[in-house]
Amino acid sequence: MNEDIFTWNNLLFGIYPYVCLSVFVIGSWLRFDREQYGWTSASSQLLSTAGMRWASNLFHIGVLAIFGGHFLGLLTPHSVFLMVMGDIQHQYMAIVLGSFFGVMALIGGGNLLIRRFSNRRVSVTSRASDKFVLGWIMATLILGLTTIPVSIGHAGHGDPRVVTAMAEWIQSIMYLYPNPAYLEGVDTIFKLHVFFGMTVFLIFPFTRLVHVWSAPFGYLARSYQIVRSKKLKYQSR
Amino acid sequence: MSHFLDRLKFFEKIKETFSNNHGIVTNEDRQWEDAYRNRWAHDKVVRSTHGVNCTGGCSWKIFVKNGLVAFEMQQTDYPRTREDLPDHEPRGCQRGASFSWYLYSPQRIKYPLIRGRLLNLYRAERKSGKDPVEAWAAIQADENKRKQYTAVRGLGGFVRANWEEVKEIVAAANVYTIKKYGPDRIFGFSPIPAMSQISYASGARYLSLIGGACGSFYDWYCDLPAASPQTWGEQTDVPESADWYNSTYIIVCGSSLPTTRTPDAHFVSEVRYKGAKVISMAPDYAEYCKASDLWMPVNPGSDTAAFLAMGHVALKEFYIDKQDPYFSEYARKYTDLPIQVMLRKHGDGYVSDRCLRASDLDGALGETNNPDWKTIVFDEKSKSFVVPNGSIGFRWGEEGKWNLLPKNAASQQEITAELSCIDSKDAVASVGFPHFEPGEGDLLYRNVPVRKLKLANGEEALVASVFDMQVAQYGIDRGLGGGNVTTNYKDANVAYTPAWAEKVTGVKAADIERTGREFAYNASKTHGKSMVIMGAAINHWYHNDMMYRGVMNLLHICGCVGQSGGGWAHYVGQEKLRPQAGWAPIAFALDWQRPPRHMNSTSFWYFHTDQWRYETLRGDDLTSPAGKGKYKGYSIADYNVAAVRMGWLPSAPHWNTNPLDLVSEAEKSGATDEAGIAQHVIGKLKDGSLDVAFADPDNPVNWPRNLFVWRANLIGSSSKGHEYFLKHLLGTQNGVLQESGAGSVNKLIKWHDEAPIGKLDLMVDINFRLNSTGAYSDIVLPTATWYEKNDLNTTDMHPFMHPLSEAVSPGWQSKSDWQIFKSLAETFSKLAEKHLGTRKDIVALPMQHDSPFEMAQPFGEVKDWKNGECDPVPGKTMPLLKVVERNFADTYKKYIAIGPLMTKIGNNVKGLDWNTEMEYDQLKVMNGTVKVPGVSFGMPSLEEDIKVCDSVLRMAPETCGEVAHKAWSALSKKTGIDHHHLYSARHEDKITFADIQVQPRKIITAPTWSGIESETVSYTSCYTNIHEHIPFRTLTGRAHFYQDHEWMLDFGEGFCVHKPPQNMHSFDKLSPSILAEKHIKLKWITPHSKWGIHSTYQDNLRMLTLFRGGPYVWISEADAKAAGIEDNDWVEAINHNGATVARAVVSQRISRGVAMMYHAQEKIVNVPGSNATGKRGGILNSVTRVVMKPTNMIGGYVQLAYSFNYYGTVGSNRDTEVIMRKVADKDIDWLERPLTPEREAQLNPPGIGKR
Repeated sequence: MNEDIFTWNNLLFGIYPYVCLSVFVIGSWLRFDREQYGWTSASSQLLSTAGMRWASNLFHIGVLAIFGGHFLGLLTPHSVFLMVMGDIQHQYMAIVLGSFFGVMALIGGGNLLIRRFSNRRVSVTSRASDKFVLGWIMATLILGLTTIPVSIGHAGHGDPRVVTAMAEWIQSIMYLYPNPAYLEGVDTIFKLHVFFGMTVFLIFPFTRLVHVWSAPFGYLARSYQIVRSKKLKYQSR
Repeated sequence: MSHFLDRLKFFEKIKETFSNNHGIVTNEDRQWEDAYRNRWAHDKVVRSTHGVNCTGGCSWKIFVKNGLVAFEMQQTDYPRTREDLPDHEPRGCQRGASFSWYLYSPQRIKYPLIRGRLLNLYRAERKSGKDPVEAWAAIQADENKRKQYTAVRGLGGFVRANWEEVKEIVAAANVYTIKKYGPDRIFGFSPIPAMSQISYASGARYLSLIGGACGSFYDWYCDLPAASPQTWGEQTDVPESADWYNSTYIIVCGSSLPTTRTPDAHFVSEVRYKGAKVISMAPDYAEYCKASDLWMPVNPGSDTAAFLAMGHVALKEFYIDKQDPYFSEYARKYTDLPIQVMLRKHGDGYVSDRCLRASDLDGALGETNNPDWKTIVFDEKSKSFVVPNGSIGFRWGEEGKWNLLPKNAASQQEITAELSCIDSKDAVASVGFPHFEPGEGDLLYRNVPVRKLKLANGEEALVASVFDMQVAQYGIDRGLGGGNVTTNYKDANVAYTPAWAEKVTGVKAADIERTGREFAYNASKTHGKSMVIMGAAINHWYHNDMMYRGVMNLLHICGCVGQSGGGWAHYVGQEKLRPQAGWAPIAFALDWQRPPRHMNSTSFWYFHTDQWRYETLRGDDLTSPAGKGKYKGYSIADYNVAAVRMGWLPSAPHWNTNPLDLVSEAEKSGATDEAGIAQHVIGKLKDGSLDVAFADPDNPVNWPRNLFVWRANLIGSSSKGHEYFLKHLLGTQNGVLQESGAGSVNKLIKWHDEAPIGKLDLMVDINFRLNSTGAYSDIVLPTATWYEKNDLNTTDMHPFMHPLSEAVSPGWQSKSDWQIFKSLAETFSKLAEKHLGTRKDIVALPMQHDSPFEMAQPFGEVKDWKNGECDPVPGKTMPLLKVVERNFADTYKKYIAIGPLMTKIGNNVKGLDWNTEMEYDQLKVMNGTVKVPGVSFGMPSLEEDIKVCDSVLRMAPETCGEVAHKAWSALSKKTGIDHHHLYSARHEDKITFADIQVQPRKIITAPTWSGIESETVSYTSCYTNIHEHIPFRTLTGRAHFYQDHEWMLDFGEGFCVHKPPQNMHSFDKLSPSILAEKHIKLKWITPHSKWGIHSTYQDNLRMLTLFRGGPYVWISEADAKAAGIEDNDWVEAINHNGATVARAVVSQRISRGVAMMYHAQEKIVNVPGSNATGKRGGILNSVTRVVMKPTNMIGGYVQLAYSFNYYGTVGSNRDTEVIMRKVADKDIDWLERPLTPEREAQLNPPGIGKR
């Protein structure tokens, strides 16, 4: 047996991703089935609205955009990408959009974080998980933003290797053919960001984040009246 | 099956559409709906109610799910009323519906609690090998040990204890106290038996068996209207709420029906639809004012003047200007208006004296039995003075003539009692009438027509009818000349005209005149269907009896009392203990030994909390020049001491000696029987080696030592003079802002310069919620809630018996009160066997109303044996002295069985006796018998709560037709009238506990009460006095306008007079720095709140949520502005009694000059510290001090005779003033600091010393 298989790198970027994703999917499913009453965004807007319009919108738009950016930027197969733009272009686009939405989320999230801890009503009614998850996301965000100067440096030298490696790594995970070796040479700051990011998925089912699954898009095209049909099993009660 | 899988069918969710695609039908999962179904699903429904001194007494469904109470809802299965009467339902308000919160709330007491320091002390003593009683004695013997736990009462420090250990401590304390000081140093306070009758009975039975004293509550709450016994010899018999619907004219004052009579208020709304007029009189725009046709805003405390002015109008227009035939017939037959009163020379004229008696006249007009107690009328038919039937002299010692039939007792000829002699007068006398309105003279002379009469002793006397004097006293001019009378309503200089009343009350003269006229006119047309609904708001004033007599006068002038739809409707709490006669023997252990020790609580607290040391009110300030004035210079407390000595009022403790030792001593010196022991006691009283305890209340020998409080919130709510309780009785942190001294001016009481601190060795609270009383106790025992025990509940407002039922078993380690005291009795018995054994006790029993001793002191003359005015004779001039043998070790065995006296002596109520052998035998079968060998073996068992309920029901005439039959037979014999038709249809009825759990059951008509249950009329008070001619239990047998007792006349209260609120000098001793700050002076009014007291408690989260979530005081906009206060500011109310902190509610509905702090806002909810005292902000009673009225102490004189919760001193606290100031938010101190030795030592506010 190859002794090298049990390295930190393998553990964190070969096994841990599957732990996170499994917990994320199965946990969400279980919680949705078993804990319908806890399936909530746990909004605190009723308790205090001061500054919420700005902070909450900045945060949500920023975070969703970044998520979308990561999703498209990293999961699009390299060959498909090259049909649209070059690697360096790709990287600059990531830097610009990431910075823009990252700062947006930082301002919004920062305000929300301050509010969560300093507004007495919000603070005492918060669960520990509410405070923790917001703090964790903000930490992930800040780590992500910290990668930008490094990334600019790489781009300045015309070196897209890191971004490409990251994308290849994520895709290897997704293809169920994990190759953590992609990340071996990557700067620590990227690894840290990746670890924090993966952990968001791990804690996802145990927190208010589950409300992401239930974004009420249905309301955009909802009928005026919805009638639920009787089912036999309920009639017999 | 899976919510997630269902979601996967997103695209086939829509099954069909309708309305042009505006609607869709889906097949989504509907399981979530079960959540709402489950919210209301339940396993069983049990009938119970709330034992909270709520007049509602509503029947509730308690819904139980998974062994827990889920929620409650109103029952709707009351039996029908009558065809023309609205139903009782729905009964039950939002407060009742919020009760289930308590069961599982943080307030719930789950385990026995004990002050940690006390437990440590006790365990240390026990560890050193002492037995429980010795251990307790060791703690008490060491002042420092005792102080360790007494000085921190109210400061937390409880630890969880186990039942066995706390029971042992309580029992040990009881045994020690009995042995060392006497059983009368153990005191129990529990109010309002009607609200949970078995629970009340539990503690009372235990205390009565061991010789402890049970304190009254009705008088202490100041809900007891002293005027009711004064006028009728009856305490609080009132109409059921359904009778409001029979009225056609209603005045409401001092009782906010929608707020405090919520489930009954609908009857008033409904009768308005029927055409009745409703008038309201209140100083604030109270909730009931908006539902009335006219609001008369009245100056606080001036209601008497308004009612007397209405009486002035009614009397003038319906008796003088023309004679209304219904009114005058009523007045002749049922009131004392025709009774002849002697006049006594006073100055240039006369004053009214006592009623003329048969014994004053030649040959006593043929009366040989009690001629001193038979009053006289002038008969228009025979043109002579005659003795009519019905006076008290006929009640005792003879039979058949104690009735209100208009007959000459001697000949049984029909008579027509004359109201006025104005057309055949012998002379006109100038009679002085006491007057108390400042600046108008203290004796107003008015001309009265009189007859001259030769007395048996040869003297000539002037006599006048009560009517002729009453008309003069109302200031009505009858053409006899003289001053102080008028024919003109607009004459503001003559007392009791509407114009004069406007001056005093602020109510428009035209409104008073119109209301008085309409009230009388309506009563004349309907034969008495005019009603006054009244309550605590006017009854809490110092001169409450004057206010009530003012109302009663108007009602009697108009013939309303005893008529359906008419009369007084006084509501304060859940007074009507319907099965009283069946309950009393169990509650006071009359089945084992008689008499029990009863105590009037007002006097008890007044002395033992040392409020007397601070008394600013002087007896001499209250008296009238028309009195004999023998007691000049007596303080209020002196009057009470005299009253105790003369056998008028009870006292606990009795004397400055252990009564057990007193008997032993008497027996040692040769006494062999009760009379001998009594002689020994009298001898010692005479030579001064024995004296009543109240003559030296601060001597440690006379302190109360053990206090049980159950079903009550004594400290948090009803402790008038709250801070004095804390200071002297409990000996802990207090806010009294003065040193005592004002009360040192006494003639009969020993003064100690240094005031006693911490009189109680042990305070035990039994409750299901940890309220302010528990917080100050040493031991708190967890009891069952109203949904966890079996009990009985009745009310004034409807005639039904209700159960409290055990819907779920008592939570955590709680037990029902009956079981708590049962097990305490068991522990006590074990300890008592070694330390007490069998001892003889001597009980001093006052001359009680409804016993032959109510005729102890003829003519209402006061003779004090201590002053050598007479000999001390038990039952005549001093209390009866009764020896009771107690085998203390048998306490438990007696507790669990109905004792043998029920068959040997039988049962009685209100002076009627009957035997209970049949019921006793039935109970043996129903309950089973006691199997424990010993004194109670084979007797009917009281081991389980339901058995106690059934025993009460079986022995009471209200719930057992056979008993009603026996009681009515006894009364029929006394009156000579056959009353059996009143109950005959229900002779065979027997109501059991199981019956009332099925449906509310209407009671059977019983002679305990003056109203009847019938298909034709609603229950109303005094109905049988009028319609069955059963006398009122008064001197004349009639309703009294006039009181002829010497002290009544001393205090100018022979006739009802207006007396303004008393000046309590509340700021005299306040520090100048407090007075220097911006403030405003306000009257302190403490009415019943909407979201608390009498229906639920204020600390109920659901109710707190509805308002400010903590203590609050209402003030007017103008006053708030003057003091710089804005709505919701913190404010502090201060006077020399203490201080309380609350939030201000600034409202237009409050009139200027008044602060209203609703009753019973818990000290434990959101109360910060007070800057004035440096102590916890306090409660409504932190700024009050109770004051007593000497006239309420009178005894041994028919209706003016003591009986438990019937007559006696009332705990008046309304004539209080405070200064109110704003407290800035930054200055609020929550006192949330650790207890340091310095803080612990600083019991008093800064600068207050030991006096």
